[in-house]
Amino acid sequence: MFALLSYVYYATAYQVSQDADAAIEREYKLLAGAYGSGGMRELNEQVVERSAAPGPLFYVLADQSGKVIAGDFDALPRMPTSGQTSEWVNFQATVDAATGGGSETHATRAYFGRLLNGPILFVARDQRDSRSAASRMTKALTYAAGISVAFSILAGLVAAWLASRRVELLSETTRQVMAGDLTRRARVEGWGDEFDLLAKNLNDMLARLEMLVHATRNAGDAIAHDLRTPLSRLRQRLEVALNAPPDADTDREALLYAQDETDRLLKMFNTVLQLARLRSPESWRLLRMDLTPIVEEMADLFEPAAEEAGLVLTKGRAPALMVQGDAQLISQALANLLDNAMKYTPKGGRVHVSCGQRSDGRIEIRVSDSGPGIPVEDRERVKERFVRLEVHRTSPGAGLGLALVAAVAEMHRGAFLLEDGLATGHGFGLAAVVVIPAIDAREGRRLI
Amino acid sequence: MKVLVVEDDLDLARTLKRALEEDGHVVDVANDGVTGETMASDSGYDVLVMDRMLPHKEGQEVVRDLREAGVATPVLILSALDGVEHRVQGLNAGSNDYLGKPFSTDELLARVRALWHGRDRNGPVTRLQVGDLEMDLLARTVHRAGDKIELQPREFRLLEYLMRHAGQVVTRTMLLEKVWDYHFDPQTNVIDVHISRLRAKIDRDYGAPLLHTVRGSGYRLEA
Repeated sequence: MFALLSYVYYATAYQVSQDADAAIEREYKLLAGAYGSGGMRELNEQVVERSAAPGPLFYVLADQSGKVIAGDFDALPRMPTSGQTSEWVNFQATVDAATGGGSETHATRAYFGRLLNGPILFVARDQRDSRSAASRMTKALTYAAGISVAFSILAGLVAAWLASRRVELLSETTRQVMAGDLTRRARVEGWGDEFDLLAKNLNDMLARLEMLVHATRNAGDAIAHDLRTPLSRLRQRLEVALNAPPDADTDREALLYAQDETDRLLKMFNTVLQLARLRSPESWRLLRMDLTPIVEEMADLFEPAAEEAGLVLTKGRAPALMVQGDAQLISQALANLLDNAMKYTPKGGRVHVSCGQRSDGRIEIRVSDSGPGIPVEDRERVKERFVRLEVHRTSPGAGLGLALVAAVAEMHRGAFLLEDGLATGHGFGLAAVVVIPAIDAREGRRLI
Repeated sequence: MKVLVVEDDLDLARTLKRALEEDGHVVDVANDGVTGETMASDSGYDVLVMDRMLPHKEGQEVVRDLREAGVATPVLILSALDGVEHRVQGLNAGSNDYLGKPFSTDELLARVRALWHGRDRNGPVTRLQVGDLEMDLLARTVHRAGDKIELQPREFRLLEYLMRHAGQVVTRTMLLEKVWDYHFDPQTNVIDVHISRLRAKIDRDYGAPLLHTVRGSGYRLEA
């Protein structure tokens, strides 16, 4: 603060004295010009006239020997240095006091020199003006600085108090969450500042955590339930075979059954493991790729199977659609959707697979069928692991297909939506839609 | 042929040894990576079956070092890590095929045989023949008993793979991986339907069928 004020003082003083010097020099040159055009008489008149006029400048005209001819002072403060035509000098001038009687000494700065043929011209300026201008400004600044420092301290105290209060609120929320209440949420004040952002992020994190904990709990229950049934069935079958009298044919049948059943269980385990892996980002390998051929190839792979199942599988045409993705996982998700559509669409029905750009710029893969569809209230639920609608408990599958699709969509920062499909007289069908952000075809940047 | 199995799970190693021996191979077993590498670089094995997670030295590193030492024996990697990224790592390390655990014995046997027969021993092939079925790989044409048979590009690749592995069992998973490049199970019996379409084109109108279904494991093209 002191350094700043000193700077302001010196800068102001310097500027004022620069201006004063320029004014002095200008006057000197004007008068020298008058001497040049009108000679000694003209110069004398000008000096007399200027000395009489009020103002901060003083003038003295002296002859060759230094004797004063006209002007404000009775004597020259000093003679010009020989050889110099003009020079600057600082000296103390004694002047009449502004108030009362007596006299005062003022710092004075002058420019003087010898004109052609010897007369000495002297223009001076009382420096008190420039010094006082600087000190006035410095004083004003000192007050302003004092006020602003006081105000800053006050504002700082208020801000610190507010900040610590909001931090306290946030930490209160985290304490409650740590105590086991996952439903707690931090308060967002709506000021749009960093604390709101922090609170919002904290809330998003908690929401996701709550969902995961919920999903894990559900999946744990579901795994236990879904594994217990086939495992006890398997055990029972083996027990029956062991208790029966040895017979090559029935033993072989039991072994074949056991093999099929364990294959199914292993497949289920593999899918559960794959789902777990999809949630760990270090295993992701997302590359720039065109979605269109992936969709077309998968449609070609399924087309004969659909025909054999008495269904018509059609595919839409699309230009290149660039995304950042894992081709194998997207293919697998699409295969699950096609498998699902074929499983639930009655004979004679239609399945249509297409990809394209949505109105929001994102890319979608859509598998629509003319089957019975899924009631709107059940649509969210079927995307979870192991959830199978009660009506389908008897058909094959472990309820993991759509969960995998949802996980693949999520790892691509996309979404998995269930909408109305191909409407028929019997229902609206189902459209399973995987939405993935588009990337710029040239730069490979994610656009959304 | 002579097969070296490098597997630290003793039960699985014994099962593999028995299955490969029943299939007509001579089998040695190593139970850790270092022993496996020493054995593989000394004796002339036709195929190596290598687990990935091994004591002393990781299977993938063994393969990399063998390749650097100039051992070109085909390698089938077995691994519980069957994500695509692990497959890519395994193949980059110099192995020739990758089979995720758990697997069926038929699948393993089919792949071991495919590795042995799949080697390019006589330079690039331009013609394939199985019985009276002929494929010209340059002209991309197929003839059966002199008749030209029109195939879709995908059917052509499917038949090419079957003809290159004529006489061997080829599993559905192998076809999905090698012909379609899909490393997952598409649930629906998609491959069966493609095979029956192909069969309709190459077998239906001719006397002896060439494309056989091997119950429980896959298909075999044989005259």
